[in-house]
Amino acid sequence: MVMIVGVIVLIAVNIIALSLSGRRDPSYYGPGGVGLSLIAPIQKIVTRSIGFAKDIWTHYFFLVMAAQQNDIYKKNLSQAREKDNHYKELELSNTRLRNLLNFQKTMTKQVLAAEVIGKDPSPWFKTVIIDKGSYDGVENGMAVVIPEGIAGQVTAASPRYAKVLLIIDHHSAVDALVQKTRARGIIKGGTEGQCVLKYVLRKHDVAVGDRVVSSGLDGVFPKGLAVGKVASVVRPSSGIFQEIRVTPFVDFETIEEVFVVLSSNN
Amino acid sequence: MTYFFHICICFALVILQTTIMPYFSFLDKFYDLLSPFVVYLSLFRSTRESLPVILLFGFIMDNLSGGPFGLYLTTYLWLFIGVRWVVTYVDIRNSILFPFVVAAGVLIQNLMFIGAIMVLRPGSWFSSLAVKTISTQVFWAIFTGPIFLMLFSYLHKKFFRRMNEMFSKKASNV
Repeated sequence: MVMIVGVIVLIAVNIIALSLSGRRDPSYYGPGGVGLSLIAPIQKIVTRSIGFAKDIWTHYFFLVMAAQQNDIYKKNLSQAREKDNHYKELELSNTRLRNLLNFQKTMTKQVLAAEVIGKDPSPWFKTVIIDKGSYDGVENGMAVVIPEGIAGQVTAASPRYAKVLLIIDHHSAVDALVQKTRARGIIKGGTEGQCVLKYVLRKHDVAVGDRVVSSGLDGVFPKGLAVGKVASVVRPSSGIFQEIRVTPFVDFETIEEVFVVLSSNN
Repeated sequence: MTYFFHICICFALVILQTTIMPYFSFLDKFYDLLSPFVVYLSLFRSTRESLPVILLFGFIMDNLSGGPFGLYLTTYLWLFIGVRWVVTYVDIRNSILFPFVVAAGVLIQNLMFIGAIMVLRPGSWFSSLAVKTISTQVFWAIFTGPIFLMLFSYLHKKFFRRMNEMFSKKASNV
């Protein structure tokens, strides 16, 4: 009985105390700031640490994801670049082939398109290998041309392939004339990818920049095909000929497709 | 099997120098890649093994080149004979000497080319450009020649080890 009364009294006192304390400022009852000062820094450290760990964790995954995405983007970019390059190559090839086609239409003689598949193994000789041979009608001595001008002459033909001696080789010779003055000479291979127009008489007025074309008199190259333009003219004090250097129109470093001029009756 | 190996190597070298290397303009004055191979054959392989390969690829190179027919064949043969002859007096199988051996081979080959051109076409040129071409080739040979020699030797060993393994396996299966 006493115990029940005691509990009731305790509850009542507790309720009264709580109702009284609820009406006053919390600081009235003691130094509540001390506990705060003691605990809060630790809380702060722990909270920050957790935040930091959380940040690392989240960012790590984010970075991993970003790296993965980056890899995908890089791969896509590389594929796109490859495609772009492929399209550019196609475009260039298309332009080149169109030029060849237009050139083919202008040729009165029958021509055969061929692709350059190899170059001379030695820097001392200038030849290329093409992918057309005697089975395609290619024979020794046939002229090889491209829209820019004369490229060379077939010197050997196997059933499927042929070797073309370029006009910049020392063994090459093309009967040519200066378009403006009609001065005749022989185009021979020179040095550094240039040609020399030999046996042009001193009396002919040849100037730098004049076009040189094939004369057609050698029976190999059709008349009027461009060979190159005069790069320099030297009239020596003695002798009857001029020394003329000619820069070919054909860029032999980048030559890829050519036309073999077949005999007119083929 | 030895001939097969040598022919494969030579084919690869010919394709490399006539089809792939022209795409790289800085390699336009590179030396003939078969020269170090001829040097390799003369230094490390027997005459019986080497001679047919040299004759075959000399012939092939003459077919591909615009030079007088037989020029490559001649240069390879003389290169082979020359190196063989030197080996009898001086041991040049030391890897330190490789750059000079290959460079000398390339130089001899170029001089023979020029000699042939000058003999066949009197009054031909031996201009500063020719000197530049030869110097560039010798320069390339000094730095890359030993790599080729070591590569040929490595490939040769690897190929024959693989072949021996294959044949011994077959023999044990039987």
